[in-house]
Amino acid sequence: MKLGKRWLPAHLLVWTYAVLLIVPLYYFLASAFKSNEEIFAHPFALPESFGFGNFTTAYHSADLGPAIVNSALVTVLSLALTLLLALPAAFALARSTGRLASAMEKVFSLGFLIPTFAALFPTFLLAAATGLFHTRAFMVLFLPATAMPLSVVILVQFMRTIPREMEEAARMDGASTYTVLRHIYTPMCLPGIATVVLLNFLTFWNEYLYSLVIIGPDPEQRTVQVALPTLKAITGTDYGVLTAGTVLTLIPVWVVYTVLQKRMQAALVNGAVKM
Amino acid sequence: MTTLTSTPGGAAVRHPAPPATTARSRTPRQGGTILAVPALVWYAIFMIGPVAAIFVIAALHWPGMLQPVSFAGLGNVRTVLDDPVFWDAVRNTAVQLAVALPIMIVCAYMLGYYVAQRPPGHRVIRYLLFIPGLISTPAKAMVFYAALSPDGLVNGALQGAGLGSLTDAWLASPSTALACLIALDVWSGIGFTAVLFAARLGSVPDDLGEAAQLDGAGHWRTMWRIHFPVIRDYVGVVTMLQFLWTLFGSAQHVLLLTQGGPGSSSTTLSFLVYQKAFIAADLGYSQTVGVILFLAGLVGLLAIRRAFRQNY
Repeated sequence: MKLGKRWLPAHLLVWTYAVLLIVPLYYFLASAFKSNEEIFAHPFALPESFGFGNFTTAYHSADLGPAIVNSALVTVLSLALTLLLALPAAFALARSTGRLASAMEKVFSLGFLIPTFAALFPTFLLAAATGLFHTRAFMVLFLPATAMPLSVVILVQFMRTIPREMEEAARMDGASTYTVLRHIYTPMCLPGIATVVLLNFLTFWNEYLYSLVIIGPDPEQRTVQVALPTLKAITGTDYGVLTAGTVLTLIPVWVVYTVLQKRMQAALVNGAVKM
Repeated sequence: MTTLTSTPGGAAVRHPAPPATTARSRTPRQGGTILAVPALVWYAIFMIGPVAAIFVIAALHWPGMLQPVSFAGLGNVRTVLDDPVFWDAVRNTAVQLAVALPIMIVCAYMLGYYVAQRPPGHRVIRYLLFIPGLISTPAKAMVFYAALSPDGLVNGALQGAGLGSLTDAWLASPSTALACLIALDVWSGIGFTAVLFAARLGSVPDDLGEAAQLDGAGHWRTMWRIHFPVIRDYVGVVTMLQFLWTLFGSAQHVLLLTQGGPGSSSTTLSFLVYQKAFIAADLGYSQTVGVILFLAGLVGLLAIRRAFRQNY
């Protein structure tokens, strides 16, 4: 379609919003290299020097080192457990045509309507009852459950596109159910697995409220999202340190996004459509 | 399964497939549904169980973790309904939804339509739109904290523009605290939602819009009269999602930025659930609000679903 001259207001509005998205981030990135005086005097100027002083201060005062390790640990283990549970489940639901299977699928899709936040306090009680309160372990067990509806539904859709003849041929050669899952379904729905992994990577890495309540403030255990807001209290109003710390926590997500931009957009769009 | 064969007369006739094939493909496979059981059990323990527990705890009188628990029946409901703070939270949540949702959905739809037309620079725009969707809640809150604090970005910009009289302690002022939270929702929500709409609009066939333009429709008409009805049910799904995220997700922003204050001017329902459970230790009260929130979510979902129902 032709975009005529009358599109000028649209161009202006869209780019204004784009500027509104960039300016705070630019301010953030620039401030990470500045002192407070510099920030107040010239909020939009480029920093005078690119020292990493703010980054090291932020890193040490909020114990970001262990926090990043904890976040990585929780994210990776939860992702592994999610796939371990969701792949066989999706496999089973995609192949069977029975009533029971379709009922199970409905139960999983209804999960979209349960907002995770609603059950914060009962989950806290569950953590206390299992003796896993104030541990990362509980989060590793808990996060996959929250990811189950989306993961199962997306994987089922991908697995339904795999022709049945593939499995029948393998069966002729004497393949077991496990072999069929491991050597036919899993490799053939790698795009689906990538979608699920990316979506859950974002949610798990960015998870805040549950980590705050369940893992708690212990620097040995807490994740990076819980450690980050403590910078506000520790550094008072040293914006340089505050912004430097925030930038540090964004780097992993940023790298993944820039490398896998197309893939990630497709993943998020797919995820939202299935919801 | 059906097969297509040519008869001597030249016409194609559909033959039903031999019944044997149909029967075979319907037989249950070995090692079937049982593989879904671990995932289902996991999901039941960590999600369904806690959600069910909300309803039980809401009926208990439980004034603190280590305090004796007694059955309260509907007593908590009466306490909650008599509490002016609860009604403040209801009002704040209603304002938040009534302002944020329409702005977000309308702007995101128009932005999504814009991007879907592939104007110059649309790749850059697409990349940028996604950024708020990647940033974690605490990081977003830090951005807004740095921007809105008394000596932050906004006040600095106002002073630079010679509008020093307009500066304010945005997050600490009763008249602007809630507005800041709404601005945060809208700021980060539009971009992400627009990408979703752009993706969906991308799969609408091009000739549909072109035909409308040949008939003399401008972009405005094409956008609202042709494309909007086509993806109407998708807009409904996205609206439902944003509704849930705003209704339940606001607790985190409130906790990080204003703690519900000053007074109760920025207390939302979901923050009230958090605050009563983990700060005030009034567990029955907290979960009663949780139940109310849950029901509000359900009613809202049904209402949105109804509003966006396809009506050809």
